[in-house]
Amino acid sequence: MELTTMKSEISLERLEAIIDAYGASPMRWPAGERAAAEALLAASVEARSLLADARMLDGMLAAAPVEAPSDALVARLMAARPRGAAAPAGPARPQGFFRELVASVWPYGSPVLPAGALAASIMLGVALGSVSEFTVIDGGLTASASEEADTDDRLIALALADITWPEEWM
Amino acid sequence: MQEAPDDELVAAVAQGDGQACAVLMERHLGRIVALARRMMGNQADAEEIAQEVFLRVWTNAGKWEPGRAQFGTWLHRVAANLCLDRLRRQRSTVDIDDLPDLVSAEPGPDRRLEADELAARVEAALQELPERQRAAIALSHYQGLSNTETAEILDVSVEAVESLLSRGRRQLRSLLATEKDELLRSRETSA
Repeated sequence: MELTTMKSEISLERLEAIIDAYGASPMRWPAGERAAAEALLAASVEARSLLADARMLDGMLAAAPVEAPSDALVARLMAARPRGAAAPAGPARPQGFFRELVASVWPYGSPVLPAGALAASIMLGVALGSVSEFTVIDGGLTASASEEADTDDRLIALALADITWPEEWM
Repeated sequence: MQEAPDDELVAAVAQGDGQACAVLMERHLGRIVALARRMMGNQADAEEIAQEVFLRVWTNAGKWEPGRAQFGTWLHRVAANLCLDRLRRQRSTVDIDDLPDLVSAEPGPDRRLEADELAARVEAALQELPERQRAAIALSHYQGLSNTETAEILDVSVEAVESLLSRGRRQLRSLLATEKDELLRSRETSA
């Protein structure tokens, strides 16, 4: 959108500068000066004489080659298009008898899942602890406090890591 | 979908709507390839640039704020910046002897300038312009953007755009002086 004030008249020098920059076609001239420039052209032979050279250059520039995008480019872009969140709004997925029963008893979600996850994580922790004990004994080494802290830091960093796009995608 | 405004299509692209992607490409891809072609001087680079532009659209569609900017102008800005970046990188590696020679292809006086030959020479002349002059001419003359839009994309004042255009056209006139004479001669012959 061009926010310009309309000029009612312009000088021959200004018209020459406009043609010098934008060429012979009024369509390319600054919107705010177009009407005044066209009025000057209509009224002055001298003004019209400025157009010939610019028309010639415009004609040559129009010869510059241009090709439509290849089918391969269109295909590559369609293949790379986002597909994620486009879940069509359809009928709700039918739930099994067990899920319906759980939903009727715990309408805000069953505590079974979080409880199960907690139990599983405790068991995993115990198992990991046992494994690391064996490793330490086998190797005849004693894990230092700083090594444990380092491992914890890395695990926390891994868990909290942001998903970032590669730089070339931004 | 064909009539939907760009902002709606971009929102649909963010939701993974393939038809919206197709309509956006149908509407804008050709113009972006054309802009990049004027800037880079060959179709392969132009398509690579256009691909990068649209991959950014696919990636950032969810962040697009409707009404904040014209989508078409934003695409031109991204494309122009990618072209200028690539040209700057190429400039440091291009050998001056590899540049196309306008004079070497000069036809004899009795030969009419064929359309393909003129097209190649005009494209070569555009490539001889300094990058920002070329960008101003590509955006304003070829893409038909207003001087305000061109100034916004190139991050300069409207007066600076006008100066870039004037200098660019003056240089093109000089680079294409031989071609102009040939065209005038062939017109006189055919008249």
